[in-house]
Amino acid sequence: MAPRLNPLTTLTAAAAVLVITTAASSWAVSLTVAGGAALLAGVTGTARRVLLAAGVILAPFWLSLLLMHGLFFPEGRTVLASWGPARITAEGLGFAVDMGLRTSAFVLVLLLFSFSVRVPELVAALAVLRLPPQFGYVLASTLMLAPIIAARLEKVRQAQESRGLVVGKGIGNRLGAARLQMVPLVLGLVHDAGIRAQALDARGFRRTGPRTTYTQVRDSRAQRGFRILAVLLAVAAVAVRIAASLPGGGQA
Amino acid sequence: MNSHKPDAVTLRAAIESFAFHGDSRPALQGVDIVAAPGTLTAVLGGSGSGKSTLGRLLGGWLAGGRDGTLKGRLQLEPGGQQEAWQPLVFAGADTDPQIDPAAWAEQVGYVPQDPAAMLSAVRATVEEELAFGLENRGTERAEMVRIVAEAARRTGLAGLLERDPATLSGGELRRLAVGCAIVADPAVLVLDEPLASLDVDGTRTVTELVTAELARGTAVVLLSQSTDALARSAEHWLVLDGGAATAAGPPDRLLAGEELASSGVVVSEPSGPHPVQAQPRPCPAPGDVPALKLEGVSFGFDTKNPGRPLLLENVDLDVWPGEIVAVTGPNGAGKSTLLRLFNGLLKPLRGEVRIGGEAIAGVPTGIIARRLGLLFQHPHDQLFERTVLREVLFGLDRVFGDEAPGRAADALAAVGLGAAGSAHPHELSGSGQRLLALATVLAREPEVLALDEPTVALDAHGLKRLSATMTAAAGRGAAVVLVTHDLAFARAHAHRLVELRDGVLAGR
Repeated sequence: MAPRLNPLTTLTAAAAVLVITTAASSWAVSLTVAGGAALLAGVTGTARRVLLAAGVILAPFWLSLLLMHGLFFPEGRTVLASWGPARITAEGLGFAVDMGLRTSAFVLVLLLFSFSVRVPELVAALAVLRLPPQFGYVLASTLMLAPIIAARLEKVRQAQESRGLVVGKGIGNRLGAARLQMVPLVLGLVHDAGIRAQALDARGFRRTGPRTTYTQVRDSRAQRGFRILAVLLAVAAVAVRIAASLPGGGQA
Repeated sequence: MNSHKPDAVTLRAAIESFAFHGDSRPALQGVDIVAAPGTLTAVLGGSGSGKSTLGRLLGGWLAGGRDGTLKGRLQLEPGGQQEAWQPLVFAGADTDPQIDPAAWAEQVGYVPQDPAAMLSAVRATVEEELAFGLENRGTERAEMVRIVAEAARRTGLAGLLERDPATLSGGELRRLAVGCAIVADPAVLVLDEPLASLDVDGTRTVTELVTAELARGTAVVLLSQSTDALARSAEHWLVLDGGAATAAGPPDRLLAGEELASSGVVVSEPSGPHPVQAQPRPCPAPGDVPALKLEGVSFGFDTKNPGRPLLLENVDLDVWPGEIVAVTGPNGAGKSTLLRLFNGLLKPLRGEVRIGGEAIAGVPTGIIARRLGLLFQHPHDQLFERTVLREVLFGLDRVFGDEAPGRAADALAAVGLGAAGSAHPHELSGSGQRLLALATVLAREPEVLALDEPTVALDAHGLKRLSATMTAAAGRGAAVVLVTHDLAFARAHAHRLVELRDGVLAGR
């Protein structure tokens, strides 16, 4: 994830890791990948943002998994506790943990990628692959959407606080403040987008002719080799997984 | 922006009328303009005169049919031996021609009044933003690098190429917007208030750029609400009032006429703007406690980088009740940052800020807001409500209870927006938006007013309102700190000028 790496290398690595994690279908692999992603986030200095965003996404997901599968897992046989129709089974908990860890690995790897990639370099690298520039812009604006929303929200918050809004520390206070900020946030973003569309048109964004890229993206034979290897490993993992699930192919 | 001259092109526009969809009254009516190669044409007008609408129409940012009903004709007329292009005739019908904004922008470069509107928002550095339009045109990389370096040199941005555009100051952002327009090397350049928020160096840079473009044969259209030095160098003036052309001709003749004054244009001397002159008032005698006190305040954004100097270093400032202090200084010096330290939006690394003798450390900004009102540099950042009235009423009931509606109405009346309560803030002109932002601050009657570039985008009527409200606030005992590049306004109104430069605040 160092800035020297070609974004296609990090993108390929992230995609390959996720494919292998899915193919492995093992809580230990998922846990290792999630832990590795968190560790890498620490090394690249994005730990705080990655973990915060992951927490926001994963906390409700884990809660719903544990509620749904921990309490109501039809295939569960080993009952640990029960209250009427709800029963905690070892199989249900195992399934919830497996799913939770796999999703955590996905979320952490993707967040790590999106927080550490330099978006203009990714767009430039995609342009080298001759993908349509609109695809690059949509990808770039999607990856930069969070910072744009965060910046706009910060401006609304500053404007409101400068006119007497006091945001307390409690969850109720924060929710109340968020309610006041949502409408200005959305209206502001829509207004900005309308103006930006005119500027993009005038600056030739919708032109159909050939394009070039200003940003130079570093690449090397080693990185190209690594990308091929990563793709091969991912394909191999899928092949092994399919072979293992065929009749007589061993345990799925 | 090539080394050779752009092909000479004359822009002719005859706008019979243009009305935005849903508006019964046209925003423009009976406006004719000719921008010939190597000439500077200044379109002058006050707030809501239709200048920016005209600029956006000329620049291809507004289109007949898509954005409103346009009747009239637009024509780009190539010089020399080139084959003439057909005029685009608009009748307000579905069969009207459609302008390709990108193809149009190759001939006509437009820089909007709000420079942030020019940015793509997907480029992380100034140089990438400058190159965005070139990338879309398929310019070879080596050529792009040359053009970007040249545009950066000409706009004074050479030292800022690696910066994130979102971190630029107002003046730097305006120069970046100009840079984004000139990289395409257009034959016609339409500049909407290009000198707003610029410091002395920035003004000189942009003025030199315009002069160089004229010498290369570019036709330049300047949209301005002030007869500043750049406007005075124009060969031809066109005065707009209420969307209609009320006068046209050489500057000398129009300066002698009545139309300028009634249109709200700020008539300034050639040496610089001299807007509303306030009566000289004696500096209020210092009392026991300053209304605002900064003691040894230091601040920097990137404190983890030991090589980067602090933006503010050991700043001391006392502002007494009733006193007006103007803070000047170059773009990017940290003037806006200084104001954000006053109400706790930013926290000092060292030192202390006191309001009425009480330290604000640890006090939420929302509480400080009862005593200090901050006018943001960009009204767009300050306005967030659905109507003008709601905007002023926000949070006012917590201060004044049942009196809040009356206070809001008074504040709106004071800035001349008493009749605009139900309008959406974005519908107001640039001047109207700034006055509305000012009303939101005035309505709270704070002990300290911190105003960031309050004169920018204000026409003569708006400057009068600002002058009157600011003087009245100081008269009732409020301390006023005013950040501005408008030295004439500062000298006319402030008891004291201080300059922020290289992190140090010094009296002048």
